[in-house]
This record gives sequence, structure tokens and C-alpha cells, in this order.
Amino acid sequence: MSDQSSSRPSGFDRRAFMAGAAGSALVPLAARAGTQDARAPLAQDPALPVDVTLRVNGQDKRLSLDARTTVLDALREHLKLTGSKKGCDHGQCGACTVLIGDRRVVSCLTLALAAEGQEITTIEGLATSDRLHPMQQAFVDNDAFQCGYCTPGQIMSAIACVKEGHAGTDADIREYMSGNICRCAAYPNIVAAVKQAAPDIMKG
Amino acid sequence: MNAAAPEPKANMGQPVPRYDAAAKVTGRATYGSDMPMDNPAYAFLVTSAIARGRINGFDLDDARRVRGVIDIVTYENAPKLKEAKLFSNGGYAGTTIQPLKSTDIAHEGEIIAVVVAESYEAAREAANRVKVSYTAVAPSASFDSPGTTKAAAKGQNAQFKEDPQVGDFAKAFDEAEVKLTASYDTPTQHHNPMELFSTSCVWMGDDLVIYEPSQYVYGLKNGVAEQLGIDADKVRVVNPYVGGGFGSRGSMTPRTAIIAGIARRLNRPIKLVPTRDQGFTIATYRAETRHEIKLGASRDGRLVALRHEGAEVSSRADAYCVGGTKTTTRLYACPNVDSLVSIVRADRNTPGFMRSPPEVPYLFALESAMDELAVKLNMDPVELRRINDTTNEPIGGKPYTSRSLMACFDEAAKAFGWSERSAAPKSMSDGDWLIGYGCAATCYPTQMAPSAARVRLQRDGRTRVEIAGHEIGTGAYTVIAQTASERLGVPLEKVAVFIGDSDLPPAPVAGGSNSTASTCSAVMMVCDQIRQKLFKAVMPNESLTDKAKETVGLGQAPTTQAAKSDRPLDLEKAFDALGAGVVEEYGEWKPDGAPLDSFKAMHSGHARLVGGHQMKDKIAYAFGAEFVEVRVNRFTHEIRAPRLVGAFAAGRIMNPRTARSQLMGGLIWGMSSALLEATEIDERTARYVNDNFADYLVPVNADVGGVEVILLSEQDDHINPTGAKGLGELANVGTNAAICNAIYHATGQRIRKLPVRLENIEV
Repeated sequence: MSDQSSSRPSGFDRRAFMAGAAGSALVPLAARAGTQDARAPLAQDPALPVDVTLRVNGQDKRLSLDARTTVLDALREHLKLTGSKKGCDHGQCGACTVLIGDRRVVSCLTLALAAEGQEITTIEGLATSDRLHPMQQAFVDNDAFQCGYCTPGQIMSAIACVKEGHAGTDADIREYMSGNICRCAAYPNIVAAVKQAAPDIMKG
Repeated sequence: MNAAAPEPKANMGQPVPRYDAAAKVTGRATYGSDMPMDNPAYAFLVTSAIARGRINGFDLDDARRVRGVIDIVTYENAPKLKEAKLFSNGGYAGTTIQPLKSTDIAHEGEIIAVVVAESYEAAREAANRVKVSYTAVAPSASFDSPGTTKAAAKGQNAQFKEDPQVGDFAKAFDEAEVKLTASYDTPTQHHNPMELFSTSCVWMGDDLVIYEPSQYVYGLKNGVAEQLGIDADKVRVVNPYVGGGFGSRGSMTPRTAIIAGIARRLNRPIKLVPTRDQGFTIATYRAETRHEIKLGASRDGRLVALRHEGAEVSSRADAYCVGGTKTTTRLYACPNVDSLVSIVRADRNTPGFMRSPPEVPYLFALESAMDELAVKLNMDPVELRRINDTTNEPIGGKPYTSRSLMACFDEAAKAFGWSERSAAPKSMSDGDWLIGYGCAATCYPTQMAPSAARVRLQRDGRTRVEIAGHEIGTGAYTVIAQTASERLGVPLEKVAVFIGDSDLPPAPVAGGSNSTASTCSAVMMVCDQIRQKLFKAVMPNESLTDKAKETVGLGQAPTTQAAKSDRPLDLEKAFDALGAGVVEEYGEWKPDGAPLDSFKAMHSGHARLVGGHQMKDKIAYAFGAEFVEVRVNRFTHEIRAPRLVGAFAAGRIMNPRTARSQLMGGLIWGMSSALLEATEIDERTARYVNDNFADYLVPVNADVGGVEVILLSEQDDHINPTGAKGLGELANVGTNAAICNAIYHATGQRIRKLPVRLENIEV
């Protein structure tokens, strides 16, 4: 179902769907979709593919997806961008964090359809061919990871943390980086990395 | 240099950045479920809602109607698999409970069906539509549940060989001037590595490739082959990166052979990404334990009697236990020692290793009791440890190969400011916060296992190291690259390391903190084979002396006086003399005392770990001392641990940066085991209640304050060629006791049951 370029008849009314999914309602909607009552009759079969164009790291990607596909699964299973990680699929661990616009978002709780038309930035979109993003470099310099599985999410979250103005003090960084679990517990090094990169990022 | 990269002291390597750092910060590091697959089908597990009983039947009509469903596998149509033997009985598995084999249910959350569909979404929906009818029997959940059975570990667990004893405990305790008897409890914990317990299986003809986070690719390869009834050479396990292990991926779980069997039948690659909550029951965990400690001492603080009785929960099927008395009976000088470990069987999944399996619960008990004894003796707890420090373990009288316990206490005490502590409980405060200082010892056995390696050197210095080790966050790539670079005298950036693939030369399980010592010893040996070969080519009539072996790098001017008497090897000339463009060597290393069948076992996925207390005429442990400050709010009873300080001595420190990070993470794990982590079990249903990251509390960034790691110089020539002691499981031991000791100091309340939550404080 990946990278379909041809348009396909859709059994799903995306306009109606999107109407309920606008703005801040994204998260609860996705959570319901994941835990729908198994006995409820299906008005329309969500497994029928829906066309969607996602703008990821500056490139438009046309996809034909099950309407319930999350941004995370669209990235990982359909666009082969596996940098964003699945650690809980419940928005509890932050390993799947991406930027949508300037906001950090848990991509496991965001439906792909709801992200259409917005700029999605993933870990793969940060470095240029010869240079790491300052936050990536700061994570290397401060050994801010061990197994590395939470790292893409930590880095995306850290960039937003700085841009939000939440990297002024160690206490602020700790608080605003607490949506991203690191089971290896590299936390002190993550704080150091965010502090190192913050001035560069604020300079733009 | 920054805090992450401590200046190396004597007998330490360079704090170079991680070999895999760039891959990990760019998302290029590929974990199991990241591997590209051609047209995979997606599997979703259905797990049992009851803990004991049987399945009457399934209603699959609804599930089958979901668009995209390919197959639904239950006990009625599951691929036939051979039995999996437990790792401790010569097998590979972490459990002998084999799902999908019959209608029987052995524990809550056992796999009872696998749905395979064209998409993840369809598989998930269909799994939710599987209807199951059960006949449930009231389960036994844990200690004290009706229907559990209790028996001594000795005799039912092949790896638990002895209840250590020496002297006459009963008499000595009876006559002791000062006595302490206390009981301690530790909770169930789940590893919860960040990467889920995924498995992808791809068949190419008769050959199977498995992408799965594993801490033992050779074990998994051989174990799955055995269950499928195929030649192990037909199975390849690939996992260049593992998203955390902590013991959870050391032994085979049932899911792998099941998915492989289904993929073979459907002739289609299958990808399984289980949910976080399923991970609580389809893999292993740290079982809850109970302890009774009896200490007898003379008034001057010398231990005269020590008894440690431990009880651990396991499944009905398997007699798993960690048996930490092997360590706690040997830590301090004491002439009269007794111990007993028992296993309590309940309707649970089989537990398994979790970071420092024996030491975390058993040292919580001993190091809490030592603090209680210090209070009884009106003695500084550090001094109590000093009085009972020893060069020889008391059970067999064997000498420790090196033991820097008190040096660690002294260094950590100094850095922490222990001398500023006023000894009386409740005597230190800051506004609404009661302040407590506490400390405890930590130790972990030094273990090694046979390992092979292949090293290839080109004339331009480019080097390739191949070894089926595991990068679980420990820095395996990095220290292997450093070892080859140092041994061959080639620049670090010219060394490429390939690990995490069972087609590479075998390495042991990444468990028991043996990996660095084992894999790097093998790499050193094979590098020396290359040096020998090149040296012989240049100087056929001379032999590379042992001294030169130690000092002469290839293509590198000798720096020491000893080396100057030997001629350095010019790499270009050596290759010219050899008439080759590449030298490649393979070798197999085994530690002293490894059993005769070691290499055979190594190739068939059985790691023969030696070390710790099991060495013939010596005992090898790494040591540390940990100091914590806790703050307890006198009104809300909120507990915080703003300062953790640990000093550690672990032989050669291969890379101070990766070592510090592991020890720092360990200290935070230790804090977590004292204050946060516990899997709650519903007594009626034997069900894990808090099986997700919102309810199973692990530390987040805001939970962690100051963490200071002090690396001590220590040289130990009696353990392995690298001189390194494993330290990945050193720092999270004892921290739980240090925190409870600090809570006692802050509040006057002794807490003997973990975790400590604010509702347990009665100030």
C-alpha cells in the first residue's frame, strides 16, 4: 500500500473525517480509533485505502493508507523512514516524537490523514549530508544516549523544547523533556546536550 | 572534554565518542522492526484474559470478516513446534510454557492466537474481534496466595548449586553480643526496554532470517532451529542495534518460533510488533522476593554470624531463581554463615534475568540490615563496612582477585560530604524537607565466557572486526573498535566493527556483564595473531617476543624503552614481505577455568560463563559504594533523591565515557527500584495491573537530580586479558538500600519493603 502514485476510489469520506479531527482534537480522536468497541458495526470499512499526501522533511509523499494509519506507522511502514520509533503506541514514552510545523507531536497518536497539508519533520530531516544538526551534535558530545532507541524522539523533543523557550534552566529542561522516557537513563547527559545546543538553535 | 567524557586515570582507555553515535542521532541505526522487508504481512497477538484454566473455544467469525485478514492461528491450527528447553537445563528458552499447543492456560497474558493480516491496522482490529470462551480456575498470584507451593531451590534448579554455609551459625548467633533479625521485601519489576518485543521473520527457500532485538543471537538462532526442527545453519538472526535489553532479551521467548512457523506456512515475510502491555507477559521479569536476615556482631562491630534466607516467586512450569546468597554470604568477613533459598510456584509467566538479577534484591536486604546493625552499634555505617572488609571471601576462604570496596567508600564519602552528616535520625532538615544521608555497598561478579572473533587488516590500515556481539547500549561497538585500534596500532577511524549477526563468529550472551571482557579478549587475541603473522613475514628468523607483543603497534613508532629494543613493524613492508593485500585471522578465546566443552557450546549457542565465586582458587567481583541524599517533605511525605554519588572500581575501564554513562544509568535504575518501580499484581486474577508506561513508573528527566560517577583506578591481572570487570550491572545494586537507609536517617522510620511511596511514610 506504500507510495501509490495513482489515485484510487476511496470508500472513506476524508472531508467528513477531517472535520472532526481538526486542531487540538487530534489526540483524543486517535485514541478512540485505537480502542474502538469491537462489537460496533462499521459504517464504512476503514481498511479501504484513502489517498493522502504527507509533506515529510520538505518532500510531498503520496500514499494510499488505511484510514486508521498513524503518522508513525505511515513513516515507518509506508515511507521507510524508520528513525521515529514505536515504544508504546500510546503517547506515553515519546520515542515517536516528530515536529508537525513547530510543534512536537507524538506521531503514534496522530492520524496520518490529520497531518495532511502540514510540514512533518522527522529525525531523518535534520542533518545535511556533511553536518549534524546542533542538537544531534550535542547529543553525540554529551553521550546523551546509550541504546539509542529513544534518541530520535528525544532530539525532536529537545529542538522544540528550546524553541518553546523551555531550555533556560536545568529545571526547565528536565520538566519539559519529561515526556520522553529514556530507559537507559541518560537524563543528566540529555540535559547537558540541550544546554549545549540551545544557543545555536536560538540563533537559528 | 565535558562531564560526559571523564579524564582517564591510570589503567583507563580513552573516552572517545561512541562508534555508533552518528547512526543513533540521525535515525540511521536500524533496530529489529526497522529492517526493510519485502511485502510483509503483519501479525498481532491475542493473549489470555485468564491466568489459569482452559480455552473452551474460539469464535473467529467477526475477526475473519475484517478486510485484509490472511490467517488466524490458534492451538487448533498452529505450526507444530518442538519443545523448548529452559536455558538452565541446557536449552535456550526463558520459559518452557509453550503457547498455542493445547487449550491449557498457564498464566495471564499467554499468547492464545496470532492474527495475520495485510496491514497492522487490520491485524489489530481482527485481534480485537477474536472471541474466546474460557473455563477459568482461581489462580495463585504470588506469595501468600492459596495454592502456591514452596520448596528449596537446591535440587530443582540446576544452576542453583549450593546454599552457602560455613562455621556454626546457630551457636554464634545465639552467643552474639548484638543481634539483628529483619525481613525485607522487593517487588515484581519489568525491564521495559524502550524497543518493543518485536520479531520479523523472512524465509528465503529453506533459509530463515530473523530480525529481533536479542541479547544472544547465537542462542536465538539455535533455539529457533531446534523448535522448528531444522539445521541451525539455516537460521540467521540479525540485530545490529538493540533498543535496550536489561536481561529481557537474553533467552528465547516462545514468540519467535511461532512467528517463524507461521511465516513458513504462509510463505510470506511476517512482522510482529507486540504492544507494550503484551511485553509484560510474553517475555520475562524480575520476580518479587522476600528475605530474612539475621546478623550477630560483637560490640566492636565485627560480624560473628550471618544468615540470609530468601524466597522467590516463579511459574508452575519452571524453577527459575536468582539465588543472591552466593554474593551476600561472601561480601563481608564472617566466620559463621548460613543461608537458604526457596522458590514459590504461582500461576505466573516464568521470571528471568533483570539487570543484576541476584544482587538487586539480595543486597537490598543485606545492605539495609548492615545499616540497621550500625544503628544498633551506634557506629558509622561506613566504619561498620570497614571493620568487616576482607581480602578473602568467608565461605571457601578464596582471595578476591582485587577488591577496592573501602577505597570506593572513601572516595564517594568525600565527594558526597558524608562527614557533614549528623548521625541522629531527623536531625537534618531544610524548611519543610527532612534530609537524610544514606549509603550502601555494591558489588557484581566479574564474569567471562568463550568468544570468537575475526579480524581483517588491509595494508592501508583499514581494519574490519567481526563478532556476533550485541550493542544494547553498553558501547560494545566502541570498546571493540578501541581494542582493535590499540592492539594493531591503527587509527580508530580506520576500524569498522560488525556485530549483532549470527553469521559472524560467535560471542556469548550479552548478560552477566561479561561482554566487554569476553569479546575484547577475543579481539585482542586475534589481533595478536595478525601481528604475529606480519612479524614472521618481515623477520622470519626472529620471534615476536612477549614484551614486543605488549608494546609494539603495527606501523607505529614504539614509545616505551622496552619497545625500542624491538623493531617496530612498517605495515607496508610487512605486507610486501607477506605478498598479500589483506591479512585475515579468526580465533577462539576462552577464559581460564572454562569447561572442556566451551567452544562446542559456544557454537551451539550456550554461553559457558565463568567467574564470580565459581572460579577455582579465587573470587572476582567489581565493587562500588553509593551515597544518596533524600528529602522527605514533612507534610506531603513526597520523597526526592536529589543527589546520587557512586564510586566504582572495575579493573580496566575501557572507555571512561561509556562506563560513566552506564554507571550513571545504573544509579538512576537503583533510585527507581527504591522509589518508583513495581508491577502491581491483582491477587484475584493474577494479572499485572499497571502494564503500561503511564502506570508502571520509570524515572523521567524531572525525577533525576544530581548524579555523580567516580571511576577509581584499579588493576587486576587475574581475571582476563583485558583486565576489565563488567560494570553494566554494578551501579544499580545497593542504591535501593542506600535510599532506605537515607529515609531512616531523614525520618527515623525504617522501611523494609520496596518501593517506598509517599503513603508508606509515617512522619
